[in-house]
Amino acid sequence: MPLAQTATTVPVVVNDDLCIADKGCTVCVDVCPLDVLRIAETAEGSKTAYMKYDECWYCMPCEADCPTGAVTVNLPYLLK
Amino acid sequence: MDEIRDGIDQIDCDILIIGGGTAGPMAALKAKKKNPKANIILLDKANVKRSGAICMGMDGLNNSVIPGYATPEQYTKEITVANDGICDQAAVYRYAQECYGIIQELDSFGIRFQKDQNGEYDVKKVHHIGTYVLPMPNGDTVKKALYRQLRKARINIINRYMATRLLTGEGRVAGAICVNTRSAEFLVVRAKAVIMGLGAAGRLGLPTSGYLYGTYENASNSGEGYAMAYHAGAGLANLECYQINPLIKDYNGPACAYVAGPMGGYTANARGERFIECDYWSGQMMQEFFDELQGGKGPVYLKLNHLAEETVAEIERVLHIVERPTRGHFHRGRGTDYRKQMIEMHISEIGFCSGHSASGVFVDEHARTTIPGLYAAGDMANVPHNYMLGAFTHGAFAGEDAADYVAEMDFAAFDQADIEAERTRVLAPTKREDGIPPNQIEYKTRRLVNDYLQPPKVTAKMHLAQKRFAEVREDMENAMYVRDAHELMRALEASSILDCADMAAAASLYRTESRWGLYHNRVEYERDDENWFCHTILTKGDDGMPASRKQDVKPYVVDIAEDEKDAYAKQRVKPSVAAE
Amino acid sequence: MTVLFEDFNDIDDLAAGLNDPTPSGRIMAVIELADSADPAAIPYLAGAISDADAGVRKQAALALTDFDGPDTAAALVVALADSVQEVRDAAAVSLTELKEPAAGDALLPHLGSADEFTLVACLAGIKELRRPEAMEPAIAALEHPSPTVRMQAVGVIGWLQDPAALSALQKAAADVDVQVRRVALTALGFSRTEAAESALIAALSDPHWHPREAAAETLAKSGGAACVSHLRRALDDDYWQVRLKAVRSLGKLGAREAAMQIGPLISLDIPNLRKECAAVLGELAVPETRSFLAAFEHDSDPDVRKNVRWALARIDAAAA
Repeated sequence: MPLAQTATTVPVVVNDDLCIADKGCTVCVDVCPLDVLRIAETAEGSKTAYMKYDECWYCMPCEADCPTGAVTVNLPYLLK
Repeated sequence: MDEIRDGIDQIDCDILIIGGGTAGPMAALKAKKKNPKANIILLDKANVKRSGAICMGMDGLNNSVIPGYATPEQYTKEITVANDGICDQAAVYRYAQECYGIIQELDSFGIRFQKDQNGEYDVKKVHHIGTYVLPMPNGDTVKKALYRQLRKARINIINRYMATRLLTGEGRVAGAICVNTRSAEFLVVRAKAVIMGLGAAGRLGLPTSGYLYGTYENASNSGEGYAMAYHAGAGLANLECYQINPLIKDYNGPACAYVAGPMGGYTANARGERFIECDYWSGQMMQEFFDELQGGKGPVYLKLNHLAEETVAEIERVLHIVERPTRGHFHRGRGTDYRKQMIEMHISEIGFCSGHSASGVFVDEHARTTIPGLYAAGDMANVPHNYMLGAFTHGAFAGEDAADYVAEMDFAAFDQADIEAERTRVLAPTKREDGIPPNQIEYKTRRLVNDYLQPPKVTAKMHLAQKRFAEVREDMENAMYVRDAHELMRALEASSILDCADMAAAASLYRTESRWGLYHNRVEYERDDENWFCHTILTKGDDGMPASRKQDVKPYVVDIAEDEKDAYAKQRVKPSVAAE
Repeated sequence: MTVLFEDFNDIDDLAAGLNDPTPSGRIMAVIELADSADPAAIPYLAGAISDADAGVRKQAALALTDFDGPDTAAALVVALADSVQEVRDAAAVSLTELKEPAAGDALLPHLGSADEFTLVACLAGIKELRRPEAMEPAIAALEHPSPTVRMQAVGVIGWLQDPAALSALQKAAADVDVQVRRVALTALGFSRTEAAESALIAALSDPHWHPREAAAETLAKSGGAACVSHLRRALDDDYWQVRLKAVRSLGKLGAREAAMQIGPLISLDIPNLRKECAAVLGELAVPETRSFLAAFEHDSDPDVRKNVRWALARIDAAAA
């Protein structure tokens, strides 16, 4: 019973240019009540936060607490 | 991160507090204050900084009992009446007496409440009997202020560990088994007392949007508290009294008629007519709401477009900034302007939450459950209509009582085999090569909840629900499959959700009468005070299935006159008047 | 094993991050220092208020919300003069979160500041600290050309609740600015003196309805028998908002003699006013007003009906 790969659009968007995950910042990852954000490392070794799991309550701490304004919370497509 | 690692650790503490949202932090602070030597641990499956129902804040208190504006007697009376009389008043009355002290304490933490030009609390009048609404102008900083106090008191905080089962022995609580949500490593915490503040069961019904996390409650509140209490043998009260709320359709946030109401907003049908007397959330109000939708007079709306510009602007300011700030984005996305359009509302999915109803783990006025050393507070405990201030206040009661309790107690011995059995249960989905992912188990459970448990409640449908739930349970126990620690957390949540669904069905079938309006509308039965003016207590039976019994309502502390008893019963606007 | 407990790190170690060459590195250090909630972090955060990068300065101003006392306040005062508006705004908000009266030590010297933004923020900050020394500069600030400053000054004086400041508040109650007058009248509410009452009675004739509304409302707290006839006149005010507050205050003062005058107001086409009239008629419970109420037992507004029924029950209970 192999698992399918079903695409889904995610509500939380991170602006790579503003994100300071490179400096060890994990504020958005830390504050998410549903723990859906992670830090991704690119091939060149730079880091940025992104939404790994589409399990969002659109509650906003990630956006509100980001020190550089890099995070935007949109409404999940299914309910917007 | 997230890869499954093998590991188990054991630590000891005097008081383990599970849940760092609202009740938990207050319990920790109070216990530490009363017994500074006590070793206290505050544990959360998220991060205490932003966990729980109020992760983004709260716009005000709905149930503040402030001297000069309301009395504990008035408040207790209103809550009793709003719950059709099924209420052990002692816990409500004690709350009403002591919540003012908690307000002052929160104030000293830096959580501000609206004050007038003389620095006195500026309580908003909404009701001629009592006045309970106290706005919070910087309500978005609640969690920040709590966190600051926890750090100052040097409370031991453990984040991202999810408690999965309580340990018991010698007839009392012995600790909890926890698992890391990012590594699946185990942590056994031995404790002399355990305080549970795990919030509502908010992921029970499926929202109409179909999005699993588009719930009214914070979606991380998936009912672990109820499931753990159940498996430990604690009693749960009146679970058939579901939480169902009138919400903004799809967005699923509160329309906040209690904010808009005093400023002139109200709930209206498709013709813009008012059809309910009182926008205060109650089962009778929800029944009228439901009837309006079913009767072809829907959609139902929140109507603000008759109000003056400055009134609308003030409502927007309050509703869009605090509690659910994405509400503004939602309305903008749809082009809804409060000045022009009415806001479509709908009925929420069902859940358990004492914050707005009366169900939950049974507790007394000290927040003690039926298991010695085990406490519960906040949305998961059964003190009715408790809201945020109730969670803080009963959290304080629990912390203070537990501080005394542990002073005289040693650790209870428990069976080591319980740990091994729990490890096996938890890790089972990680040991398979493939199978059903937790999101499908969860989706199916919740879809069945909507199909068969959502009121009006029909006996045959609830029996079908039980049959289907058993099939899903079979799949969950034998075929659920996870690939990482994060999915394992979701798998454990799916298990709590299924437990709650089973409890909801069993409790609803047991009470063979209708009560609390829509919350427990059993179409085959009328209200029956003679046989059912009592609590129902659900426990785990000897056969491992839910078992229910009746329990007397304790004699009232505050008398209710005969003619006051149905104050919330007559909710519908008289037809002759509604037509005007 | 995964780290279990949140750390209580050494502050000096955390502060080392403030020397990071990149602004984002320094922002991280500021966040960690704030999370410590340890007062030892204050001097470091105070230093970060003068960082070269505005993002760091703003984060430091926000971080200081987690602390209290004179050093915190002093650092925030520095940020009030920042070249970047975002930093100034963050500092002004943080100042209003101070709780320790001692923090006022750093604000008192600036209560005569020539910079309007600083002056407003320092007055707003010291208000909740209730420092008696703020009284004199606040009274002086009532002469400031900016109404925003004067309004904050009224707040400081009102929170102190000092009878010695009554004449200053009386004067502010006659300010040229409408909103200053409004808040000054509300601030008089702590006093039950003839002076407060007469100022409030005079304001019932204010040319603008906002001060009239505030005066009608505040008389419930400051007024006695002398104001009842004036409140009864206010029942004829052009603005229903003023009439509503007058009704409310007459109810609170237990002015049964006004009941027959309140009775007819229930027939006006303003639901909020009808609601309040019904509630007050119930509180006063004068049997002769029964007929006014009975006509609205089936009012089109449910809240009015509810209050009417409650009031009728009160009147009947009083008669029985």
